[in-house]
Amino acid sequence: MPEVDVTVEVCGMAGDGTIAAGGLINEAMSEGGFSVLGFDSYPAEIRGFGRCVTHSRIGTAEIVALGEETHVLISLNDEQSRSRVNSLAETAAVFFDNRPPAYIHEEKSIASEVDPGAMLYGMPFSDLATGASGSSRGRNLTALGGFAAVCGVPPEFFRGVISRKFKSKGEKVLQANLKSFDAGYDYALENFSDRLLKMFTVPENVAEGPPKVMLSGNHAIGKGALDADLRLYFGYPITPATPIMEFLAAQLPLRGGRVVQMEDEISSIGAVLGSGYAGRRAMTATSGPGFALMTELITHGVMAEIPAVILNAQRGGPSTGLPTKTEQSDLHAAVFGGPGDSCRIVIAPTNVDECYHYTVKSFQLAERYQTPVIVLTDFYLDNRVENLPLPEATPEEKANWNVYPEESVQGAYKRYLVTESGISPRALPGTEGYIFSATGLEHTERGTPNYTPENHTIMTEKRHRKIQGALADLPAPVEFFGRGQLDVGVIGWGSTFGSVLEAVNAVRMRGWNVGALKVTAIYPYHAEIIRAFMNRCKNVLIPELNYEGQLANLISHLYHKDVVRLNQVTGNPFPPSAIVAKIQELLQAGER
Amino acid sequence: MRTPGRVLAQRVQQIKESRAFDVRSGELPTWCPGCGYFGIHQGIGACIQEMELPHHQVVTVSGIGCAGRYPFFSHTYGLHTVHGRTLPVATGVKLANPDLTVFAVGGDGDGLAIGGGHLPHVARRDVNINYLLFDNSIYGLTKGQPSPSSPMGTVTKASPGGTVDKPLNATLLALTYGASFVARLFAGDPKGITAALIEGVRHPGFAIFHIYTTCVTFDKVFKTWANLKKWVHPLPENYDPTDRRQAFDQVLEDDFSMGIIYKRMM
Repeated sequence: MPEVDVTVEVCGMAGDGTIAAGGLINEAMSEGGFSVLGFDSYPAEIRGFGRCVTHSRIGTAEIVALGEETHVLISLNDEQSRSRVNSLAETAAVFFDNRPPAYIHEEKSIASEVDPGAMLYGMPFSDLATGASGSSRGRNLTALGGFAAVCGVPPEFFRGVISRKFKSKGEKVLQANLKSFDAGYDYALENFSDRLLKMFTVPENVAEGPPKVMLSGNHAIGKGALDADLRLYFGYPITPATPIMEFLAAQLPLRGGRVVQMEDEISSIGAVLGSGYAGRRAMTATSGPGFALMTELITHGVMAEIPAVILNAQRGGPSTGLPTKTEQSDLHAAVFGGPGDSCRIVIAPTNVDECYHYTVKSFQLAERYQTPVIVLTDFYLDNRVENLPLPEATPEEKANWNVYPEESVQGAYKRYLVTESGISPRALPGTEGYIFSATGLEHTERGTPNYTPENHTIMTEKRHRKIQGALADLPAPVEFFGRGQLDVGVIGWGSTFGSVLEAVNAVRMRGWNVGALKVTAIYPYHAEIIRAFMNRCKNVLIPELNYEGQLANLISHLYHKDVVRLNQVTGNPFPPSAIVAKIQELLQAGER
Repeated sequence: MRTPGRVLAQRVQQIKESRAFDVRSGELPTWCPGCGYFGIHQGIGACIQEMELPHHQVVTVSGIGCAGRYPFFSHTYGLHTVHGRTLPVATGVKLANPDLTVFAVGGDGDGLAIGGGHLPHVARRDVNINYLLFDNSIYGLTKGQPSPSSPMGTVTKASPGGTVDKPLNATLLALTYGASFVARLFAGDPKGITAALIEGVRHPGFAIFHIYTTCVTFDKVFKTWANLKKWVHPLPENYDPTDRRQAFDQVLEDDFSMGIIYKRMM
């Protein structure tokens, strides 16, 4: 069976149905048994003349990064699609409307922009749609019909997902959409019979394994929170975290929980801490600017030892920055932000499946270690979709990890008892015999404010001991490919890790001695494992979507020489080719 | 004149029997001798006793300031938070466990300055928490700076020429924001505080108790015991606290009438 690895883009103007078309491609190809990774980009402004692009990478092997070359471009608006021409593969197939609804000059048609090697499929999308359904609104589906016919996607995949998607809109809309699709399909079969590409051979092992669903990072986070029996969500709208609140607003009440939209991010984390103190699972999700506002209360959670789960969906910064662009520049803020020695747990998933499982895990970590747990994602990870077997948490993953005091200490309860692990059993308000006050002031074992040098030293050590102890429950770094000595070891975190994996995979095929390390526990981190990996490498390379090299700053002290940093602040996902180029540069420098 | 030993012993016995100290934690309050907060403390304690609220079912949430220290002196569960965030944290506690009786306490700086943005939202959300705003019109813990409720012309080290900003009226704000229970009280009248608190705790929504109190150390001019005793008086006899319009009139005309200003019928 031939290996399939095709990247499809749909590009149009806001209102063209671009995002819907891209979503249907993802669903249909997933249905066909392919691996799919999709990512849309759209303007920060809701209306106006924004460009929408959907990007789908479709393959037979597991897909871990976006494609850098587009093999198929479906243009719903040529003026907008001109921006995509630079990323077209040499022999790309381009579908475009040769009789667009708004008159455009011939030289503005995408046909006049692409390289001579490209395959051009001009179709009257609007006319075909109007002819089939009486309205040109289905022209995006007509385009999909052309794509399916030329590229060899069985039409029943599309018909199936169209039926599911438009079922709720009534029979009339559904039939109109199906007719629009069929019109495009039939037209292309008839008119392009001499140049059908048939690039998608349906994988043979479709029936094997559990059925797959399309899931975005944000959706996985929301489902993770639900499955972890979240009781209360407090939040404030902010891109790109808002879909989590919207998902939970629909779902959580069905499970007896509540979603409260608060007046700001400060009150959101405040209410999460109040709930955590009272012993119920609560969370909030935000992005950089909101996270900054939460910082003071997060350190209160550290000091008063209160569980809380905070999701920071990073976007470009500083300040309001680039709301709809991706970046990994809040690591410093997550790990170190706020007054004092305020250690807390920070974890960063690298793909959609981990978004789910790490969200579930964060509640247990918060309970056992009685501290805020920060889950760091980013715009790209939150918004990209992957097809994967529906993740389900095991009963162990959902179990209550609260540590309650023994009955024997009733009446003489020390809330902040100094223990070897640093974990002090925690009573919940409402329990008789354990009355205490939690406070953000430095305090004694009983919770009484106390500023003596001895006490502050003992308590600071206790809190740090506790957080370091959490390493036992945090996912250890995972090494890919490498064995023995490596010429280059690449360390990746967050959404960038997928690009690292793709790059390292590619260079190993060339026979290069390169390995990859995935780090998901950002703080505390597995110093010994990371050090052992680094010391087997002639060069350590850390690519990150930030300018300062924030993970490198955190862990580079573990290496005996300087780590090599590779930083991008383009607002886009990390391109694997840039990592390949850097590896090549390092290897060549080593040879000299 | 010294009190005879027999009388003193009798009084101690009376106090013990009243169990008035049961709701004290045993921590010695950090407030100055003569501080109005002792009266408020007594009023809250008596409310808990009279309503027979189990102490472990009561949570006191506080912010920062002299009032913020309150939970340490009270034999209930306590949560001493950061400056200004008393109300959101208390909201979280109450929503997480509605069986708990939640008192939120804070000063005029905590509730009207840094935390002033939360008051309208907790009022419109109408979560069943009881908020006691200790209003002495001065920053005490930071040693005497003007607060949002200081009258114009207040002279402090931070305002040597006198303040030029108009003061905020917490009772009026609470009414405007649509709080469903609003009381104005006097720290020198613990019994009045207890009576209003009992009604407020029974009220199934957000209740705010705006309490006029003193700072005996840093305010020798405005809210002194002598002035407050002279100024405060009960609401008019025929006053109807369920009439919001009348409540506005009352509060706009008279800054010192004490009692339950407004109570929405539920």
